[in-house]
Amino acid sequence: MVAFSLNGRNVELKVDPATPLLWVLRDHLGLTGTRFGCGMGLCGACTVHLDGAAIRSCSTPVSQAAGRSVTTIEGLGGDHPLQRAWVEHNVPQCGYCQSGQIMSAAALLASNPQPDEENIRQAMSGNLCRCGTYHKVQRAILSVAAVEHWQPAAEDAS
Amino acid sequence: MSLTRRQFIRNVSVTGGALTLGFQLTACSGKPLQLGSEADFQPDAFLRIEPDGAIILQIPKAEMGQGVVTGMVTLVAEELEVHPERIGYAMAPVHSAFADPEMRLQITGGSASIRVYHEILRQVGASARETLIAAAMQQSGLDRASLAARDGRVRSTDGAVDLAYADLVAIARALPVVSDVALKPADQWQWIGHYDQRVDAQAKTDGSARFGMDASPEGCLTAVLLRCPWFDGAVESFNAEHALEHPGVVAVFATEHGVAVVAEGYWPARQAAGKVEVTFTPPGGGLRDSAAITEALTAALDGDDFASVRDDPASAKAGQGTLVSGRYAVPFLAHAAMEPLNATCRLTEGGCEVWVGSQAPDLAQDAASRVLDVPREAVVIHNQFLGGGFGRRAAADNVAEVVAIARELKRPVKLVWSREDDMRHDWYRPPMAGAIEARVHADGSISHWQHRIAGPSINQQVLPVLMGAMLPQWIPGGPRQLVGDFVGKKDFASVEGSKELPYQFDGVSVSYHNVPVPVPLGYWRSVGHSHNAFVVESFVDELAHAAGVDPLEFRRKHLAADSRERRVLDAVAAAASWGNAPAGHYQGIAVHDSFQSCVAEVVEISLVDGKPKLEHVYCAIDCGQVINPDIVRDQMIGGIVFALSAALHGEITLKNGAVEQSNYHDYQLLRQTDTPPMTVVLIDSAAPPTGVGEPGTPPAAPALANALFAATGERQRRLPLRMG
Repeated sequence: MVAFSLNGRNVELKVDPATPLLWVLRDHLGLTGTRFGCGMGLCGACTVHLDGAAIRSCSTPVSQAAGRSVTTIEGLGGDHPLQRAWVEHNVPQCGYCQSGQIMSAAALLASNPQPDEENIRQAMSGNLCRCGTYHKVQRAILSVAAVEHWQPAAEDAS
Repeated sequence: MSLTRRQFIRNVSVTGGALTLGFQLTACSGKPLQLGSEADFQPDAFLRIEPDGAIILQIPKAEMGQGVVTGMVTLVAEELEVHPERIGYAMAPVHSAFADPEMRLQITGGSASIRVYHEILRQVGASARETLIAAAMQQSGLDRASLAARDGRVRSTDGAVDLAYADLVAIARALPVVSDVALKPADQWQWIGHYDQRVDAQAKTDGSARFGMDASPEGCLTAVLLRCPWFDGAVESFNAEHALEHPGVVAVFATEHGVAVVAEGYWPARQAAGKVEVTFTPPGGGLRDSAAITEALTAALDGDDFASVRDDPASAKAGQGTLVSGRYAVPFLAHAAMEPLNATCRLTEGGCEVWVGSQAPDLAQDAASRVLDVPREAVVIHNQFLGGGFGRRAAADNVAEVVAIARELKRPVKLVWSREDDMRHDWYRPPMAGAIEARVHADGSISHWQHRIAGPSINQQVLPVLMGAMLPQWIPGGPRQLVGDFVGKKDFASVEGSKELPYQFDGVSVSYHNVPVPVPLGYWRSVGHSHNAFVVESFVDELAHAAGVDPLEFRRKHLAADSRERRVLDAVAAAASWGNAPAGHYQGIAVHDSFQSCVAEVVEISLVDGKPKLEHVYCAIDCGQVINPDIVRDQMIGGIVFALSAALHGEITLKNGAVEQSNYHDYQLLRQTDTPPMTVVLIDSAAPPTGVGEPGTPPAAPALANALFAATGERQRRLPLRMG
């Protein structure tokens, strides 16, 4: 039995504790917004927050989440400043990597509310995008960094 | 017209240049199409308006990031006089009404969607609008001149009549559809050329967008497949004893495609798969190693067994001037879309349903029907968002695999490929070698342009598959393969972008030698242009150098004064301040026509430890009338990132018939830190729209190689670029 907080709600499930968090989210809990891309932590499509920090859920056993707080793209609520910026700037093309991009960006802003372009490039370099939306990702993050301060506390309240 | 007849919806055809939106009646061939309910106003297969005013557009093309949904919604919204946000959309089912009028298949490729559909979809919107106005005429007793449509309503000029489209559905659905409507002139456009909001952005931002990977019919299990590492092998034997003991595992069995491991979820399936011992039949003959393939391509270039695809009259200056020559080579490439391949199947009475993100749902349907040995109509395809396509998702190997698994399992099942499966079982961009030469004359002219191309033919493999879905199912594969073999001798996909050389050179000849390999080949963003632009535009730079002329000036001089090529070159040169790069920066330029569009790019680099650092990329495109400017810019930038990833890193190698690369660590893509700022210029044009999804890709690699030459004086003739 593994218990953790998921998007502000407690979940408890019987699962092999070695199962990567990604597959617990997708196959056991039906939260499909977190994507499978590489299975080795190389592409970032599976990025979620564990106690507010960005982690690769494809290579994080669910046992590591026990007793901790997990936030997925669904937990951002759809109206998060970054999500609004993503829509406004038309960031997604195919869209498959974007949940991971947004979760990485949200973690960045939580630790550094006003990153410069170089901070953004470095922080986002673990998230691959085959469509090549990097410039839009950067622009959307900058737009939020310029006008709003990300409130980490909002994460658990969602 | 009765309601029943109204269900038997139309056939769009472009005949003699005139567009006709007709009805396909029961007496005609073809299966009737039923979408929505009888209460809807459904003027044609593409559009329906429900009694509550909901507007739903059927999208006949795959949305793989290229923005086709937004483009199509924009075109219909313009004529229908509604805000694009008011139009809902659905991925069209497989039906002849949605087959591409040029390709005769419901396939997304060739950067053709907007070029082919822009007029059809505007007519769809205009016909619906005029029919709704006719309904308002009936309701109000006013004449046509007294009524106008705007913002989803029909109003009278005096304001006394003001009807929402929803109020007109019940009348409109019983009226004959008004056809051959004059389309709005460009100066009245509200959305075309202006609308810059992607209609799928919200779903792709909040996690709710459904990709093939997210399909989950009730009771769905997950399968993984152990495939033979070489492409001509099959399962000889396997031992699943330990795998079956793994918790969560439901079944392990062999199909014609490999050993399927089925479990309750991906993780137990993948873990158990590691415990299956499989023996595959041994590899067959043919070219099985990268070194052997490189040798075969070189040997082909050394020989004289070439099929001519262009042979202009020989130049009067044959044998004069200075001969310049070079040999170029490019490798196999993988598509490496972010969403690994997958497909989900549920058997039905006499057929099946398939959930998949496909660029060719009718090929998927054909593949599924062949596995089950049922008529195509017994297979229902639910097309989903594609987590990247780039040509890979035109193939339906994933669909054939999952249907075979479901056939044995007799339960709903989702097949999930690992990243390693995806990398090692792609339909690869083939390797190509090119020998090219030309003569530079003292008067500045160029003659004797001879380009010989050697490499595997894509269409020798793929055309028989496409034909399988176009022809009656009883036609056997043998004759189709004969057609593939014939076309393969002069494969247009191998020579495109070379034989249409835009320069005014004397004595141009282009020829091809097919070198078959036992490796699946497929269309990779921009197909033949992806390698031919590299060879042609690099060699044009070599000629400019030999002639002692600036690369931009050399190109301009040999292009017609009023050509699109010159226009985009001038635009990109102005944007890049060509010739005035900052100190320590070096520029390379290239121009290329593909998919009826014309693109020029300047890549600006610096050198860090002798290696290129991308500083800025400039791009100018003439794609005719732009529908959504922001999407065109994004497609250029995305196409450039795609090309530069390949130019700097992309290489698939073979050992004993199997692919050596496996994941993003040994098949690298550009990342956020590698991608430079980019500037895109859209050429103002009122010509009909042309391709956008692919044309950004071809010029980037030669522009980079040309920048490297400017920086180092060394000519790079192989991809990926290996410095030093």
